[in-house]
Amino acid sequence: MSGFDPLAIRVFASSVAMIAEEMGAVLTRGSLSPNIRERRDASCALFDADGRMIAQAAHIPVHLGAMPEAVRAVRDRHPAAGDVWLLNDPYHGGSHLPDLTMVEAIADDGCIVGYAAVRAHHADVGGMSPGSMPFGATELVQEGLVLPPVRLVSGGVLDESLLGLVLANVRTPGERRGDLAAQQSACHAGAAGWRALRAREGVAHVEAGASALLDYAERRAVARLRELGDLDADAEDFLEGDGVTDALVPVRVHLRVRDGRLTLDFAGTSPRVRGNINCPVAVTRAAALFVLRSLLDDDVPTNDGIARAIEIITPDDCFIAAKWPSAVAAGNVESSQRITDLLFAALANAGVAAPAQGQGTMNNVTFGGAGWTFYETLGGGQGASERGPGPSAVHVGMSNTRNTPIESLEQAYPIRIDEYAIRRGSGGQGRAAGGDGVIRRYRVLERCTVTLLTERRTRAPRGSHGGGDGATGRNLRNGEPLPAKCRVELQPGDVLTIETPGGGAYGA
Amino acid sequence: MTRAAGIDVGGTFTDLAAIDADGAVVARKVLSTPGDQSEGVASALDALGAPARTVARIAHGTTVVTNLLLERRGARVVLCATAGATDVLELRRQERASLYDLSAAHPAPLVVPTDVVGVRERLEPGEVRVELTDGEVARVVAEVVARAPAVVVVALLHAYANGAHERRLAQALRAALPLADVVCAHEVLPEIREYERTATAVAEGYARPAVATYLARLGRTVSERGHPAPSVMTSGGGMRTAAEAARAAASLALSGPAGGVVGAAAVLRVAGFDRALTIDIGGTSADAGLILDGEPLVESGGDVAGVPIALPRVLVDTVSAGGGSLGWIDDGGALRVGPRSAGAVPGPAAFGRGGTQPTVTDANLVLGRIVAHRMSGGVKLDVEASRRVVSALAAQLGADVTRTAQAMVNIADAEMARALRRVSVDRGVDPRSCVLMAFGGGGPLHACALADLIGATRVLVPPHAGVLSALGLAMAPERRESAVSVMRRTDALDGAHVRAVADALAGQVEGAVRAWTARTRYVGQGYELDIPCAPGDDGAAIAARFAGRHHARYGFVLDREVEVVAMRHTASSLAESVRFARHGTPTWTDAGLVDDGSPCDAIVAGEAVITLPDATLFVARGWTARALPVGGWLVERVP
Repeated sequence: MSGFDPLAIRVFASSVAMIAEEMGAVLTRGSLSPNIRERRDASCALFDADGRMIAQAAHIPVHLGAMPEAVRAVRDRHPAAGDVWLLNDPYHGGSHLPDLTMVEAIADDGCIVGYAAVRAHHADVGGMSPGSMPFGATELVQEGLVLPPVRLVSGGVLDESLLGLVLANVRTPGERRGDLAAQQSACHAGAAGWRALRAREGVAHVEAGASALLDYAERRAVARLRELGDLDADAEDFLEGDGVTDALVPVRVHLRVRDGRLTLDFAGTSPRVRGNINCPVAVTRAAALFVLRSLLDDDVPTNDGIARAIEIITPDDCFIAAKWPSAVAAGNVESSQRITDLLFAALANAGVAAPAQGQGTMNNVTFGGAGWTFYETLGGGQGASERGPGPSAVHVGMSNTRNTPIESLEQAYPIRIDEYAIRRGSGGQGRAAGGDGVIRRYRVLERCTVTLLTERRTRAPRGSHGGGDGATGRNLRNGEPLPAKCRVELQPGDVLTIETPGGGAYGA
Repeated sequence: MTRAAGIDVGGTFTDLAAIDADGAVVARKVLSTPGDQSEGVASALDALGAPARTVARIAHGTTVVTNLLLERRGARVVLCATAGATDVLELRRQERASLYDLSAAHPAPLVVPTDVVGVRERLEPGEVRVELTDGEVARVVAEVVARAPAVVVVALLHAYANGAHERRLAQALRAALPLADVVCAHEVLPEIREYERTATAVAEGYARPAVATYLARLGRTVSERGHPAPSVMTSGGGMRTAAEAARAAASLALSGPAGGVVGAAAVLRVAGFDRALTIDIGGTSADAGLILDGEPLVESGGDVAGVPIALPRVLVDTVSAGGGSLGWIDDGGALRVGPRSAGAVPGPAAFGRGGTQPTVTDANLVLGRIVAHRMSGGVKLDVEASRRVVSALAAQLGADVTRTAQAMVNIADAEMARALRRVSVDRGVDPRSCVLMAFGGGGPLHACALADLIGATRVLVPPHAGVLSALGLAMAPERRESAVSVMRRTDALDGAHVRAVADALAGQVEGAVRAWTARTRYVGQGYELDIPCAPGDDGAAIAARFAGRHHARYGFVLDREVEVVAMRHTASSLAESVRFARHGTPTWTDAGLVDDGSPCDAIVAGEAVITLPDATLFVARGWTARALPVGGWLVERVP
């Protein structure tokens, strides 16, 4: 135990969590786009002067623990106190291009005393298709504007020419400008909160508190892992095509737990692929953190301490630790889900009472017509666990965004929803049944294209401990099957049906 | 003659506050009767001295609907929904119950899936795509009749814009099921978004029979004593007659907590302030609220016991931190407080009812912040028992007992401060600009520390703090609300149209004070703002006011069309005026000042303890408390 008073740890935890929450409140209040404001596809985090993440307000698990990479990338470029940096380059602190991350080097008396970071998924960052989540991309540059860490604000002055360059390369510059302003306000709120805490509690107390809080989260993670005992297990799973070909893409892991430390060795995982299901190792780390986080009690504070209990080893050429110039848009949304499934499977193989697999996909559906685009993701079945059946019709794993009400969708777009229903019986059968997926039937009123980025269309979510598998998902145009990943034209009156996968059952 | 009496039913106590003809306030506290809340109400009235004193008006705050939803004891409801969208209640909004607890499930819907009947009809924006035929009406009625429900809810897609299909089906159902109650969703909540509208209408149907039974029984009990039928507070801080309330059950879901903030606002105005954060600290939880321009902040949406109810509600953010919250040590070696609570039984160790774990109340006793010989409810406090259990915890931590007790209080304070910051910062309000109004048994005890944490420099401990909700009920004007869907862009909304909608809404109810609001948003946005408007306005005026509010709340405006989703109307009577004053003579004891409401011009510098009728005020170091002529205390940070 460190020198910090154990009586004060939870007060300190509340104080820093409050700062991160307030950054989130400022962001959602100020942002323009529904994706940030309503679906909350954004995260805010606070770091100390050494770049250690001490609090994160996460709405979206895929951002878990991926933000320290962004701060590291900025620190590598020697920011000045008070600078605000912007980045999205997956190979320099980013995840996929729509996630624009802003980092403020918090100044106090001319010194950097910490960092405030805000990541938000923007509706468009340019590239070959609206929404910047293209089907069939094979190079990063096709997916949108790539921003290595760049200095957006220096000496309190916003670099308008740099912002102009960014806005000139996106399809909806007005909305982007507003969302970026909201991100900047959120960073400032974090900086102000951190300075106020240091002034109120004293610099020495706050600095000791940061270290103690990280140690505390680490202790709790290690304590939970120790309860599981020493573990060794392998697991294997596959993605259904890389977005260019339909060939299965293997992911493999050897999981090892020794004395409360988790090692994940992804040897045997596919080398990088042509399509865009690649992802930077930050996304892989986020998936690992999510799985460990789900084993912990809800009240463990989210900070870098948890990550210290995990070691990740990836082969040199590996699609989940991809390198430039691989395309990555779908990796963030779909490969992250598969890694999560893989790790739960490895835990189950090691004898841990891990839940059965959930739908394992976000079912990304993007419509594009003359002058409009509409993007949504669909929930499905959650896997059952020893504690009970899996919930139906929810996002599983790395996403948790809300649906679009039928009435709102029909008011805004030339699309009608003929059916939105629970896909009864799609959850696996067993002692505890898997959750059911959903059926969403769209009828389009105008000619448009639809892009599908989906998974679990041929390989079912598996049951656990003898429980049955969930049903695979189905994509249909006028009743005819479509591939898991595709882009197709729709004529007025055409009906697109998405049936999302059910979750696996637990126990025979 | 008593002009008005407010009666607030809580989990433990039923509080009554009566306003006399001369404006003076009389308070009574009796034990609640959970089996039938009306018995507690009757004994509170009897304690007032009725029927010798007649009460002109009785206002009631109830937890009947909240408890019904929590315990899932409502009526069997059959839901008629558009074919293809019959799973609306199970689909919710797709988000999971917990981000990391993968087996956590949402509470089951109030209607079982087999009690949902699909209706073959379909409205689409601006058109009827599938007509509701006579044959289909007959088929649906037969399906519903076969289930013999107490309540039928009709909730069809896009009925917020066109209620014809819902009305036709409801008419046929009423004819076939004369004993059942038939609820149309577009009448409960005429607003877009099918899940929220349907769920709200279902909650209405689910709670209605029990609410009607309760209010009828309460009416009898009260009229037997010669009093008029009580009116009931809504979640939005309005007041409805018992007859109206029985047909607006869903709007009573947060009747109790709303009363607290409404009462706080009333007292705040009397004390000469108009902006406050409120904190009501009880045994198991603390409620944070916000008052702007002298009125509680009212918003739409949210859920109660996992049931979404998208009606207006007084903003209340509840956290699990209170006097009964338990201290413990987690597997990371940190001291923790809550969320588990010792509740009323066994309660804190000091209560001597078998509590063996240290609570926040025990910690406050160890710190000498509660005077041991006085506590409401006749409970005798055992300080030694508190010291014993806190010492045991301290020993595990290797710390001394005082430091451990202070740390427990600090941890509870940190949780409550977060709630206070959420209700203010999330709404663009700087908490430093607010007075912190602290009430409930624990509010005045924690107020100075909370104010320090949020940067507030003034704390108001209101008079009658122990019965503030009841007082708010007594002071609240009669208020009725009505609403209608508009769904029209402001550039297509001329003055005549606004006037027609406003007049139609106003024609439904009577009242001395009328106010209209337009639920307005940018086209494509999913969030609305309530914009005050009047019958003389046109769309352009509403759009301009919307831009001003949007900028104030969110910090920007858009170059985008504006649309009005719905219009609401409230009709209110005039509020009861109250003359707050101190009566009697003050007392000083060895343990500090005892404030029993006597005339008093004391100025007390921290650190000091002031015993109030139902609570203890702890004046921290660096703070000075001043007795207010209207009763209560203003505590200010020494500059």
